[in-house]
Amino acid sequence: MSRPTDRSWPNREDEPLSGFYGAEEAGIRRSVDDEIWSFIDRYLEQHGGGRERLIPLLHRIQEKIGHLPFEVQEYVADGIGLAPVQVYGVVSFYHGFTTTPRARHQLKVCMGTACFAGRSQHVLDALAESCRAAPGGISDDGLFNLDAVRCMGACALAPAIMVGSAVHGNATPRKARRIVNDLRDRAGESAGESGE
Amino acid sequence: MSALRVQVCAGSGCVAAGALRVAAALRRAVADDPGLEVAVREVDGSAEAGVRVTGCRGFCAMGPLVGIPEFGILYCRVGEEDALEIVERTLRRRELVERLLYRNPLNGDRCRGENEIPFFAGQTRRTLRRCGVIDPEDIDDYILHGGYAALQRVLTEMTPELVIDEIKRSGLQGRGGAGFPTGMKWELVAGADGTAKYVVCNGDEGEPGAFMDRSLMEGDPHAIVEGISIAAYAVGAQQAVLYTRAEYSTAVRRLRLAVDQARQRGLLGTGAIGTDSGLDLSVVEGAGAYVCGEETALLASIEGRRGMPSPRPPYPAYRGLWGCPTLINNVETLANVPSILSPDPESFDDVGTTLSKGTKTFALTGRVNNVGLVEVPLGTTLREIVFGIGGGIPGNGEFKAAHFGGPSGGALPAAHLDTPIDYESLRSLGAMMGSGGLVILDEQICMVRLARYFMRFCVEESCGKCPPCRIGNHVMLNLLDRIIAGRGQPGDTERLQTLGEHIQRTSLCGLGQTAPNPVLSGIRHFRGEFDAHVRDRNCPAGECSGLS
Repeated sequence: MSRPTDRSWPNREDEPLSGFYGAEEAGIRRSVDDEIWSFIDRYLEQHGGGRERLIPLLHRIQEKIGHLPFEVQEYVADGIGLAPVQVYGVVSFYHGFTTTPRARHQLKVCMGTACFAGRSQHVLDALAESCRAAPGGISDDGLFNLDAVRCMGACALAPAIMVGSAVHGNATPRKARRIVNDLRDRAGESAGESGE
Repeated sequence: MSALRVQVCAGSGCVAAGALRVAAALRRAVADDPGLEVAVREVDGSAEAGVRVTGCRGFCAMGPLVGIPEFGILYCRVGEEDALEIVERTLRRRELVERLLYRNPLNGDRCRGENEIPFFAGQTRRTLRRCGVIDPEDIDDYILHGGYAALQRVLTEMTPELVIDEIKRSGLQGRGGAGFPTGMKWELVAGADGTAKYVVCNGDEGEPGAFMDRSLMEGDPHAIVEGISIAAYAVGAQQAVLYTRAEYSTAVRRLRLAVDQARQRGLLGTGAIGTDSGLDLSVVEGAGAYVCGEETALLASIEGRRGMPSPRPPYPAYRGLWGCPTLINNVETLANVPSILSPDPESFDDVGTTLSKGTKTFALTGRVNNVGLVEVPLGTTLREIVFGIGGGIPGNGEFKAAHFGGPSGGALPAAHLDTPIDYESLRSLGAMMGSGGLVILDEQICMVRLARYFMRFCVEESCGKCPPCRIGNHVMLNLLDRIIAGRGQPGDTERLQTLGEHIQRTSLCGLGQTAPNPVLSGIRHFRGEFDAHVRDRNCPAGECSGLS
């Protein structure tokens, strides 16, 4: 199995496929931890490399590094014996996969029906404005990922938002803005501390 | 006196409200009380004693819920800080903590437990009867509550033909939405040619606002494993796959645990009780695509491809997963199977209507007081669900409509409050049962916006394979956008109707065929509201800010 350094399929330098990398390039590029290559090798050794392994493997990778950078997709394609475009086809088809790097804070707004009836759109708008990120994207300071997500089952608390793994129920635009400001203040403080 | 059990509901609603912290606090409080610890442990000495985390009890509006079944008590909205008091007063001194009891909004009376709370009293909990009662991570708790008795009976006493006959006789219909007779499906797969066959359990609950399957998988995972095993025996499958959403991490973990536990007990895999037919059952996670609830798309996803549907025929019953005959049933359908085949069957078909048998679970949400998971006999009226179980509309608001079946369904207006809810009635009214999402709307909700919400969902979720769905729905969305923006043109309502009917007729799969339903049912029952937007540039609900 070839490592990305000696891969044969489209060399990024040779073939400008910028549209293809779009989502990733829009965000902030992160280098991928080297451990991931051996993790993929081990996974395929353990479970076999049939096509049905693709989605579970992508899940495990995303759990580890937060998103699915293109070079990782390429490596997986190689390991399973697919064309990279087949892997990209799967990654782009499912909402659960993302090519946007993960920021420090994950903000999710539930867009389920109960939350819709509870005016979740206003909450999403307020969050997008205050953390300066488009839904599905990363904020320009690299601090927040903002995602409009499908029903998270907290309908009794509608409209619901998630900050990291904590659910905040009965959200309002005001509450949402306050959460963002608090997180940003805290980030500023810790940055100040580490700078001293 | 039997073992003292404290059941802390850990359904997603209660967990979001802090149930796990409550459970930890209760455990600490029990442990810190040496005298009590003895009391709890001494009684029976069984594994049942102590603080147990259970699946969803359904009364999400009042979570976190703490039940003490021996005293028939259900405490509502319990906080961490209440743990000590519950342990001291209720467990030790057998007193009630009045303020944690549910207060009936009608008369202000405190209700001691489920029997007195209208939310529960109006329900017939069968599929859900163990949800919130047993510890879903303990196979013994399931067996103690009658679990795996049906599988044992099936494997030792019944031929596959007999099993299929009994399912057919019960009148069970697929609970995933379409309502296809389950027994007939089983018969098709059993009779299909092929040595390798599959059973696929569809737990890809993608409908926004629906959490029935999730609650079942989290609260009673062994019932689903048992149902799958029985189905596999009946159709002659050696392999089974349970496909569910990756976001349902608790469900995935509990299902995998249930499969492992069942395998260890020899209830699965080679050497299962009384039979040589082994069953290989794996839990597969989806990756977020509504269309994967469609059976051919679901199969594509299991095979590691983009979840795009393929034309039928061939039906999966003949050519499904990896080209083999495949039985695909929904989670709730399979969870109904063990009770139908149990050695002392509670009758299944004693409730329901002539054509729709049994009970159905609903995720009751939206503008209703008692948001939660409910189960009622098919044929129950909307009024009983909304005003009886649901406790009416918050803030004395006015009931406007009930939306069934999410993006594939439709809304019933107040005029149909007394319509029995069953497969036939809903279909005839242009709504659809769907998988059980039931969203209550009050007069502040604009039906045009609601229609657009669902249409946008379908546009985002369309896989793009067939043009009617890919393009047609987009055009419908554009029309709705301009109507809401106050730029509607005369005839837009009719345009939506014509287009919607075309899309219904010509789309490849269930997603496209049903995507126009919310718009069409909205126009059917709330025509005036659509016309007001288009003609008078007016939003009667006052929600569309671009209009007067």
